[in-house]
Amino acid sequence: MKSLYVEGGTPLHRITVRTKLVMLLAASVVLFFVTSPLVLLPIFLLCAATYFTLGLPLREAFGRVGWVLFAILILALATLYFDGARQAAAMALRIGAVVFLAAAITATTAVSAFMDEITILLQPLERVGLVRAADVGLALALVIRFVPEILERYGHIREAHRARGLPMRPLTLFAPLIILTLKDADTIAMAIDARGFRRQ
Amino acid sequence: MTTRDLVLIALFAAIIVFLGIVPPITLGFIPVPITAQSMGVMLAGCIIGAKRGSLAYLLVVLMVAIGLPVLSGGRGGLAILAGPTAGFIIGWVVGTFVTGLIAEKLVRESQTGGRQIAGFFLASVIGGIGVVYLLGIAWLAFVTGLGIEKAVMGSLVFIPGDILKAAIASLAARAVIVGYPLLPQRA
Repeated sequence: MKSLYVEGGTPLHRITVRTKLVMLLAASVVLFFVTSPLVLLPIFLLCAATYFTLGLPLREAFGRVGWVLFAILILALATLYFDGARQAAAMALRIGAVVFLAAAITATTAVSAFMDEITILLQPLERVGLVRAADVGLALALVIRFVPEILERYGHIREAHRARGLPMRPLTLFAPLIILTLKDADTIAMAIDARGFRRQ
Repeated sequence: MTTRDLVLIALFAAIIVFLGIVPPITLGFIPVPITAQSMGVMLAGCIIGAKRGSLAYLLVVLMVAIGLPVLSGGRGGLAILAGPTAGFIIGWVVGTFVTGLIAEKLVRESQTGGRQIAGFFLASVIGGIGVVYLLGIAWLAFVTGLGIEKAVMGSLVFIPGDILKAAIASLAARAVIVGYPLLPQRA
């Protein structure tokens, strides 16, 4: 699984994760109270410019936010129809600006940097005894490790269907896949405990 | 939390990611291909229960937030969580919890197959459709300033497909509770 991080040396790359997240939060709260499209337009253009100058190929840059932009477009059309042009423009520019800023932050922050920040954010919860940051890291590693395994298993189940001339139905494909995958849990849990990963 | 629960959560999160990668499956009798990922809410709640299921979804949301392309079509990143459909993503977590709670209450291993499927179906419809849409639409209406009714109307298009997914999910959950019961041992 390839992360959405893009190598580079832009100012946004150099700011710490925490600053970036606070920026995003502040932007989404402040922009919520701005209703004038004329004020929102320069902010939107600034966020879009920041995102598109990060060094991503234009096609991929659009591909990443395309789906969200499409949703915004549909909503803008609905708002235009119900509430008028001013409202529609304000809504589209406001959400668009936050989306571009968020996409820019995702593209300039490595997964490991995010994980470090999450570990820090989890500390209060860890002190209360609710979660353990190490468990979150372990779970993430397990997911990334097992997605290819599940895909391979899915391929085997499809082949088994084909060999027997059965039609590909979601039910007959997913049920055995889920059972086979979850049955691994005992073995994996035993292996983790045997190696003392969780220090229990 | 035992290591086994932790592993079950991670494995189910992997299944949810897989459901986003697998190409949409076309059913014989309807022309529209169904995307499998939103079915994960119903499957997670009905198969591993409220607590573990919602933690599995929380793990997926965490992966989205840190920039891993784990949603269907390789989508991911903070842009998804900042966009107008973020309510649906949060709805997945809460919806899984509600689905799991209802399934845990309604379904027993000793029941007949029909009753189990009915219980799973009810849980999937309330948690996997009701709760997910409630939160998704509420956020949509809040962010866009559209009225709730208008946002509801726009979302109704997807309901028939979701009912079908609830049916498939409840049959799959019944198959899993027969083959490898996990729901009764609560985390």
